[in-house]
Amino acid sequence: MTGSMDLPAKGGFDFDLCRRNNMLEKNGLKLPGFLKTGTTIVGLVFQDGVVLGADTRATEGPIVADKNCEKIHFMAPNIYCCGAGTAADTEAVTDMVSSQLQLHRYATGRESRVITALTLLKSHLFRYQGHVSAALVLGGVDCTGPHLHTVYPHGSTDTLPFATMGSGSLAAMSVFESRFKEGLTREEGIELVSDAIRAGIFNDLGSGSNVDVCVITKGKTEYLRNHQLPNPRTYASSKGFSFTKGQTEVLSTKIIPLKQKVEVAEGGDAMEE
Amino acid sequence: MGDSQYSFSLTTFSPSGKLVQIEHALTAVGSGQTSLGIKAANGVVIATEKKLPSILVDETSVQKIQALTPNIGVVYSGMGPDFRVLVRKSRKQAQQYYRLYKEHIPVTQLVRETAAVMQEFTQSGGVRPFGVSLLIAGYDDNGPQLYQVDPSGSYFSWKASAMGKNVSNAKTFLEKRYTEDMELDDAIHTAILTLKEGYEGQISSNNIEIGILRADREFKVLSPAEIKDFLEEVE
Repeated sequence: MTGSMDLPAKGGFDFDLCRRNNMLEKNGLKLPGFLKTGTTIVGLVFQDGVVLGADTRATEGPIVADKNCEKIHFMAPNIYCCGAGTAADTEAVTDMVSSQLQLHRYATGRESRVITALTLLKSHLFRYQGHVSAALVLGGVDCTGPHLHTVYPHGSTDTLPFATMGSGSLAAMSVFESRFKEGLTREEGIELVSDAIRAGIFNDLGSGSNVDVCVITKGKTEYLRNHQLPNPRTYASSKGFSFTKGQTEVLSTKIIPLKQKVEVAEGGDAMEE
Repeated sequence: MGDSQYSFSLTTFSPSGKLVQIEHALTAVGSGQTSLGIKAANGVVIATEKKLPSILVDETSVQKIQALTPNIGVVYSGMGPDFRVLVRKSRKQAQQYYRLYKEHIPVTQLVRETAAVMQEFTQSGGVRPFGVSLLIAGYDDNGPQLYQVDPSGSYFSWKASAMGKNVSNAKTFLEKRYTEDMELDDAIHTAILTLKEGYEGQISSNNIEIGILRADREFKVLSPAEIKDFLEEVE
């Protein structure tokens, strides 16, 4: 296990097998797909802190792989991060930076700052030149105030009062652009975030299911998992199913009496060890 | 004695079967400030004296008891700088364990890994053993635990133990006072009394440090105000 977390890394991915993979693909091999999170993720700054929101659908091409996944990741007690892009990449990169922040907290004895998380994330993503497909909305409150940032897969970042990412970002951004104002209250902030996520859920195929919300203020974080469930199951029959005899048509019958095939010997010795 | 001819190299055994450098490391520990730990029925307490070299030193900048994870703390006797290195390595190992297994590291595992690091430095070229003995206190699913780790890398689980200058008197005192079903607050009082026994001078809330783990499993270093309350209860 020594050496698995040595910093700084030698750099990037090893591309030695790329030529071979391209050749295999040309010869008809179907490369394995990966789980993307389609996604609508949003964040906004309100008067006491930040509110983050996300949908809960994970897609594998046209199939919904997970109807209720968690896209708001823990970074520090006062910092959370929404992730869009390849699910494995967002999970791995947020776990890794969360771990580094914990070690940093122990070394300094202080609460983590949002800008620290931001810098650790962007340095990592830049080193991998966009191959780590993670688009993140990072938000939190620290001693310098509330902060909201977006991080792109190639390592660039923005600092914004409200932000959206993912395939549903345009639908969500339309809600923000028309209704965002400075100094929102907590209730207004949560409602605006939920409305933006719902816009993504209903207007974007890559997003769906439920709304997760996370409210971060000075000294307190509330993770409202499944804050809204606008897509409940409506088709499960409570009566269950009943099949009467004769419903299935019998096409042919074949009976093999086993007694004639097997010799049953009475007695005998017990099996030897 | 024949041993001294073999004390030049760490990695050479003496004819009596000892690694003399480790013996010397234990001597360094034995001349360090007293520290002790007591495992109670519902928690663990570790404590140490904090004698600073001069009254001009800012005592708030010195913290001898450190947290390794939210539910594991550690105190030492011996060389402070060596302790800092071990604390850093242990914290990193705890994080790596969590990254790998998504489970918070059990106390025994962290003790084992720290001990493995200390042993590494007794069998490598160009390094010396750590001049500290550690008392690691933790509270996990196996209940409250207290471990001592020596410079050689050997570790022991204790119900109560002491290390440093006043070790024999402190241990005798603890043997007399320890009971299996002790509550944590009793254990804290006993710890303070044990430190008081061997203390040269007046004990106060600024020259001792106490770290505790209650049933809530959160390692906490007591503030001077909290220590003062316990001291007053003991008087």
